[in-house]
Amino acid sequence: MTTKRVFRGAVGPIALVVACMVFAAWGSFGSSPSATATRRAPAISTSSCGPKAGVAATGSPIRLGVIVTDQAGTSFTDIPNMAEAYFNCVNANGGVKGHRIKYYIETEQTNPTQIAADAKQLVQTDHVVGIVGNTSIIECSVDNAYWKSLGMFIIDSGIASECYGSANSAAVNMGPRFSSDGAAQYVIAKGAKKIAFDQSNVPGTGYNVGGIVAITKKDRIPLSQLTENVPIQDADSVALKEVDAAGPNGAVVLNFTPPDALVILQAVQKLGLINRVKYWACSTPCNTDFLAKSLGSAWNGKLFVNAELLPPDAFNTKTMQLYKAILKKYGAAVSGGIGAFSEMGFTEAETAVHALNTVKGAYTIHSVNAAFVGTNFKTGMLCQVWKYGHYKTHIPNNADFTVTPKNGKMVLAQGCQKISGFDPLMAHYRTQAGTAPYGSGHGY
Amino acid sequence: MPSWQDFQPFLVVGLALGGVYALSGVGMIVLYRATGVLNLAFGAIGAMGALIAWQLINGGINEWLAYVVCVAFSAVLTLVYGVVFGPPLAARDPLVKAAATLGLALILLGAMDLLWTSNGGAVRSLTLATDSSTFTVSQIQINWTQVIALALGVVITVVTGAWLRYTKLGTAMRAVANDRQITATLGVPVRRVEAAAWLGCGVLSGLAGLLLADLVALDATTLTWLVISSLAAAVIARLRSIAVTLVAGIVIGVVESMLVPINSLTNYADMTPFVLAGVALLVVMFRRREITVSRGA
Amino acid sequence: MGIGEGGHGGQAPGAGQVAGVEEARDAGQALRPSSEGAARGPVFAISRVRPETWVRVAAVTAVLAFALFAVPVILSLYYVDAMTQVAIYSIVALGLGVLVGRVGLYSLGQAAVLALGAWTAARLLFATSLPFPVVLLAAGAITMVLGTVIGLPALRLSGLYLALITLMLAGAITVVLSTVNFPNGGHGFLGYNGNLIHIPPIRRPSLAGSDAAYYRYAVVVAALMFLLVLWHVRTRPGRAWAAIRQSEPAALAAGINTTRYKLWAWALASFVTGVAGGLLAGSAHFLYSIDFPIQNSITLLAVVLVAGAFSLWGAIVAGLLLQLLPALFQNWGVSSDWITILFGVGVLQVLTTAPRGLADQVPKDLRRLGRLLSGATRRAAPSRTGTT
Repeated sequence: MTTKRVFRGAVGPIALVVACMVFAAWGSFGSSPSATATRRAPAISTSSCGPKAGVAATGSPIRLGVIVTDQAGTSFTDIPNMAEAYFNCVNANGGVKGHRIKYYIETEQTNPTQIAADAKQLVQTDHVVGIVGNTSIIECSVDNAYWKSLGMFIIDSGIASECYGSANSAAVNMGPRFSSDGAAQYVIAKGAKKIAFDQSNVPGTGYNVGGIVAITKKDRIPLSQLTENVPIQDADSVALKEVDAAGPNGAVVLNFTPPDALVILQAVQKLGLINRVKYWACSTPCNTDFLAKSLGSAWNGKLFVNAELLPPDAFNTKTMQLYKAILKKYGAAVSGGIGAFSEMGFTEAETAVHALNTVKGAYTIHSVNAAFVGTNFKTGMLCQVWKYGHYKTHIPNNADFTVTPKNGKMVLAQGCQKISGFDPLMAHYRTQAGTAPYGSGHGY
Repeated sequence: MPSWQDFQPFLVVGLALGGVYALSGVGMIVLYRATGVLNLAFGAIGAMGALIAWQLINGGINEWLAYVVCVAFSAVLTLVYGVVFGPPLAARDPLVKAAATLGLALILLGAMDLLWTSNGGAVRSLTLATDSSTFTVSQIQINWTQVIALALGVVITVVTGAWLRYTKLGTAMRAVANDRQITATLGVPVRRVEAAAWLGCGVLSGLAGLLLADLVALDATTLTWLVISSLAAAVIARLRSIAVTLVAGIVIGVVESMLVPINSLTNYADMTPFVLAGVALLVVMFRRREITVSRGA
Repeated sequence: MGIGEGGHGGQAPGAGQVAGVEEARDAGQALRPSSEGAARGPVFAISRVRPETWVRVAAVTAVLAFALFAVPVILSLYYVDAMTQVAIYSIVALGLGVLVGRVGLYSLGQAAVLALGAWTAARLLFATSLPFPVVLLAAGAITMVLGTVIGLPALRLSGLYLALITLMLAGAITVVLSTVNFPNGGHGFLGYNGNLIHIPPIRRPSLAGSDAAYYRYAVVVAALMFLLVLWHVRTRPGRAWAAIRQSEPAALAAGINTTRYKLWAWALASFVTGVAGGLLAGSAHFLYSIDFPIQNSITLLAVVLVAGAFSLWGAIVAGLLLQLLPALFQNWGVSSDWITILFGVGVLQVLTTAPRGLADQVPKDLRRLGRLLSGATRRAAPSRTGTT
């Protein structure tokens, strides 16, 4: 009797799950986003990622690790997935001096204890010698002391303040603060007379807006600071609020992850608010083809997105071709396809492999991280040479592009532009790195 | 403090959201009164329906057909749950029955996240066909989705009220809600009546799922737990009166929205359903005490 | 450890019929001070301790010793960290178990209470240099006061409404927390500074800084919390709760002050959850409001129901399910969504077939298995008489 009940209890839910899977499987034919990746055949072969075309690396593995946030609504797994695609390419084409790279990916759900545990797992159980590709809302804060104690120099795609304010972390991207700076300074240069900055209420809101506070102060432009609890429950109200805060001569600058940015922008469109402000601007997460496709032509010339890495639709350099080719061949797990996230993964992997190739002798934590910290690499994905160095803070990517959606694609609005040195953290870094903190009257 | 002119667009937004809260509240109350089950999986079922609709639209199916599938799916899923898990739990406390629906909610939540993962930059959004039709009333742009949301809330409440009062099935449902044992004794096909209630609740959850996916976000977790805000309206109505649910739902929606332009309160706007429901419950509780005292016990 | 001679086992409230008036009266009599007959004196009168109790004590001691000494050595640091969380969430499950299993009060907001405890502890740890144990006690006490203040009006509501109001409260607290954030070393009442670039970690006790040492510390604190609850259960409050769960009107009729004992249960549950919050603050070093979504409260209730709300072992099983299982799944590369589904299926299964949950069901099933086996062996042996 009990067995029958148990069976009956289980049948329902199981049948449900099966039915839905059938449904979803049927429906997913032809709906994978990466199917819309570039149609023209790449002119470059993936084999140029490694030293020996077509020769699989068989040497002892170089173990690298990564910690990435993967939870409902905030998932950065595309970044390490793309890095892994790059490593697979390298492994299939000669490896690093014959050694293959073994990549350990640890996911986390923004839980500090879990993140700390992941770090221990990577080092003590998986015996990784380097950390490449970390992308997490809080990992930099949680693990910074641990990495420091081990002498690890992380190559990451930073988010938290600690990723840019630590001696042991250097990012290939700019992070929310400096990317928002870039978005804001672009619209200010275009003539916005007021800024309404809105961001998700996750840890670090003060840090994120700090640069814009300094920039608008120097430019004598009023600033309205808003935050939204995410996931956003009432996008319509948020859109109205932002428009009211910016005013007809102002600009709204958004700093959200793609899902939340999209619901806000769609609400703006639905309510007919696009032209109620002078400009709309967004930090890097908005830089995806998907967003460009979802927003209609009503947005032409109104939305400007800060692009921390090379805009894929605007450039067809060798590096861009290699990136798209590797994405196509090895990047099945990269669900977002072409976009900022996969570009970051590519760049981190590229940089790491470049550094690993300079290591002489055994690949240990010491040798690998010495190579990482000594990196001085002209990657084709960034505006500048990417330099790590023994500095107290790191913002090696501090000049970038602005793109704008046009007819379903992100097109270039402005080429390489330095982030304003009016942001004190940027000025501080540039002073350490020996470059000019301020340039023109706008600090760049 | 914003001017009345500034508040107006928020009023529109709030009315639409309130309409959906009312719709969800009515759905849950009808089911609760007929079966004693407070369907806490209401949001999850609707969310899954919305995701399926999205999947179909993405695959090229006509959107109105997809909406129908969503509602049908939600109705069938709710009915299946009711038929399978209703009888074994029928004699148990409403608390246990509600807890069981939480089990269903968790299963659906896990399944939705597996089937429609949120990896990478992939973002899903459901834009109802009625979004693009707009009209302007004194400088405020209103789209038909918002109108439908409010209208549905009102219409469903009125129709349900009338149906419960004037039709045979509706009366049977009220009888079952009142006393299941006696109604069964009188020859009313109780199981069939309950099945009808489950089905009705399912239809409403599908409709609410579509509207919320459009008005809020197409995200499994968000939509699943949005049921708690929808629940607030039903709670204020003490799980009894659908007329009160309608009013409560709209009030919650409007207040929540109108708090947004007030700078000092904007981040607390999301709290509105919980605070209003909590206050209502406390009022109920205090009123009860007065009644006991006045009886001279 | 099937504690609960004081009344019928963890049947979900209302499931049993009213017939318990006699029992309630007996329990009520036992609660009146110094009545005739057997005084329910101190629990530990050795001469009256039965052999099964010794077995139980031995089992508990063995488990405790294993947890304290063997686990940190056997497991990698990744799993030791997971086990620290198991200890913490066992305490939370313990509190919820008191409410749900012993008294029959469903709380859908315990994760929010945990968050309050963690917030309080973090604030104190940053603002003062009080020793860690004192902070734990203070966090527990403050959470207890808050819980009692909230519980007092709420307790006049019954069953479903109580559950709903706890859910509403949890929702409200979640929103407030995401707005005010957790203390991070800043100044002012809220102790949050959004501009900090280098956020200081929440400190740990001076003798338990390392992960392994902190794990042991957490286990010891958990054991103390379990003892506290055990003490309650074995003495007067436990009997009152049993009477209330059996039938509240009958308990009232028997003279038990149901409001006072229900409030006591709230206070106890809030206290232990507050202490758990303090442990969580120390273990995490950094607290974020995104770690306390409303879903956690629901999952917590679901797991406590599945693991067994009544038995104290159930709380440990709940802790393992909540924290060890996800760590294992992540290590094996299985999506944690399967765990969510598993919990959902578990809740449905438990509520329809095994109301007392795993911790009660598994020993029962094992005993049944044992009986089956011994029955089979008996049948195999030739019987001397004709009767079977």
